[in-house]
Amino acid sequence: MDTVMEVTVYGSGAADAAEEAERAIRRLEGLWSVTGENSEVSRLNRGETVELSTETADLLRRSLSLSEETGGALDPFLYPLTRLWGFTTGEYRVPSREEIDGLLEERASGSLSLEGDRASLAGLELDFGAVAKGYAAQNAAELLRERGISSALLSLGGNVQTVGNKEDGSLWRIGVRDPQGEAGEYLGVLSVGEAAVVTSGAYQRYFEEDGVCYGHILDPETGQPAESGLASVTVVAEDGLLADGLSTALYVMGLEEAAEFWRSRDDFEAVLVDGEGKIYVTEGLRDSFECSQFQVIER
Amino acid sequence: MIKTKYWILLFALLLVLSALAAAMLWGGRGGTAEVISEGEEVCTLDLSRDQTLTVESSNGVNVLVVEDGAVRVESATCPDQTCVHQGARSGGVPIVCLPNRLVVRFSGDAAVDASTG
Repeated sequence: MDTVMEVTVYGSGAADAAEEAERAIRRLEGLWSVTGENSEVSRLNRGETVELSTETADLLRRSLSLSEETGGALDPFLYPLTRLWGFTTGEYRVPSREEIDGLLEERASGSLSLEGDRASLAGLELDFGAVAKGYAAQNAAELLRERGISSALLSLGGNVQTVGNKEDGSLWRIGVRDPQGEAGEYLGVLSVGEAAVVTSGAYQRYFEEDGVCYGHILDPETGQPAESGLASVTVVAEDGLLADGLSTALYVMGLEEAAEFWRSRDDFEAVLVDGEGKIYVTEGLRDSFECSQFQVIER
Repeated sequence: MIKTKYWILLFALLLVLSALAAAMLWGGRGGTAEVISEGEEVCTLDLSRDQTLTVESSNGVNVLVVEDGAVRVESATCPDQTCVHQGARSGGVPIVCLPNRLVVRFSGDAAVDASTG
């Protein structure tokens, strides 16, 4: 999680609580880092059998079930492909079809063994990149609530999680970045109470080669950057992991499939922006999204 | 009737003082907005001060009005008039006129608590 972390806590004991929340997030970050030599994830990826911490076991189980629910649009085992494209190191390159297919085959034949909290991987490499921040922020929010904090805002690199309402009781105003604009340019503002708000879009990390842009969100089916016609997806949910994971999964699915998926559930809402800058908002956000023009996706 | 005069004076004084207090409160609440034309910042509007600003670019003209702590595009030469329809705003989403390349972006308390994306 090489991102900026902001923790703002209101009320008595705020400073201590904020520090504690930051420490908790750093600790989780340490467990799930793909680059940290001794992180639980790195050890799993080296083929070791690992006695997982409670949080990692929970994160793994929930990632797997979200992967299944989304029909594989979210895949926690794409690490070898992410590395192939250079998104882990910044040494980008467009790999050949053979290279991609080779890794997709490996992905398909690999296996995970999970008994109790003991886990090991065979032919697979784990990367919690699409869910770790959301889950960590949610854990930190939970910790703050246990400390009696009733108003706080956490942001892990644009992954927003709130505790309660603002100190004065009003709703939080979360700016949704314009995928075609620059940092600080919003296409709309979401008013939310206690919620997680997470955005995914290729504009967040991409490289250009021969005039073609390659985004960092890979389609697990093709092994290539997702080209679903969407520029960004923002998910609002009570659950931080769900918001984080779904922002990626819906991005991979594309508008139609994402709308269908939303209709089949009642635990999240979303703002989707297509390549032409058209904005689609699920019904539940109709009155909480402030924006000049958007189309409502109805049930 | 000297007495009546004093009463009138006293009330007048009270009225002025409360008006001043209200203006200060209002001023404290209103933020500022940057006016950006063709990518360049033209000026920063103090939303607590009622004013009218005409912005001319190579593409057209927008007339901005600041009133009651909010800013709106009163009129514009653009074909779609989207900026005019955005109405009076005091924060949040910027007012944008794409054809004339004008952006009114808010800052200060009226802006957002966090951003995603």
